[in-house]
Amino acid sequence: MSAKVRVRHRLNVVLQMVMALVTAILLGQLWLFTISLEAMDNRAVSPKVAGAAAVCSLVACGSIWILIRFFLRMEQSQSGDLR
Amino acid sequence: MTTRWKRDFPIPSAEDSYVTRREFTNFLGLTSVAFLIGTLATAGRTLAKRLLGHDSPAVAVAGIEELPVGGYKLFRYQESDPGILLRLAEDKFAAFDQRCTHLSCPVIFNAAASRLECPCHAGYFSAEDGRPLAGPPKRALARLEVTTQNAQVWVRRTEEVRA
Repeated sequence: MSAKVRVRHRLNVVLQMVMALVTAILLGQLWLFTISLEAMDNRAVSPKVAGAAAVCSLVACGSIWILIRFFLRMEQSQSGDLR
Repeated sequence: MTTRWKRDFPIPSAEDSYVTRREFTNFLGLTSVAFLIGTLATAGRTLAKRLLGHDSPAVAVAGIEELPVGGYKLFRYQESDPGILLRLAEDKFAAFDQRCTHLSCPVIFNAAASRLECPCHAGYFSAEDGRPLAGPPKRALARLEVTTQNAQVWVRRTEEVRA
């Protein structure tokens, strides 16, 4: 197995881990979206809940972009290939 | 066997359907942005509605004589929110947001049973205070403040009035 293939395999493993993490965060964001919808419709829910959901969603979105950039940079530095 | 036109005009279908990692990760990132925009929009609307619309102005819903005991009247408050005004006794009125706390179907008044009923999923609420009696709803109906003045029944929403 050549060094390039080994790097490719390692990157695939890292990609899968990153994708699993990103998927989990996306599911969390979906849950936060449903919470904000519930807060909009139901007056028994405090408006602070909607605000907290928005802040958490912002943090989640930022972390997803950071993860993606981290992965792409790592891939570029190791293989010089963006595909 | 490859036909001549395919040799002359090759269609790189495999290349076309190839999704690069960068495109895929960008798609995930944009999905996240879409969720964020949706959450921010709903949260912003909720906060604007609750904080800026705190203690909304009273609405004259009906004349006192207009509504018989056991009767009800539907109305709108805060521009578009549906409400229901009930006359439970000669001098006893109650008003609630008409949306069921389960899935927002409009509730209807059953005077004989003295309860509000949601026809969508058979949810029942007390006509006295809006608390859930049976069915899927777990939360009370949002209660509205009722006052009588100049032979009119006035309704307004305040954050304090909760069942």
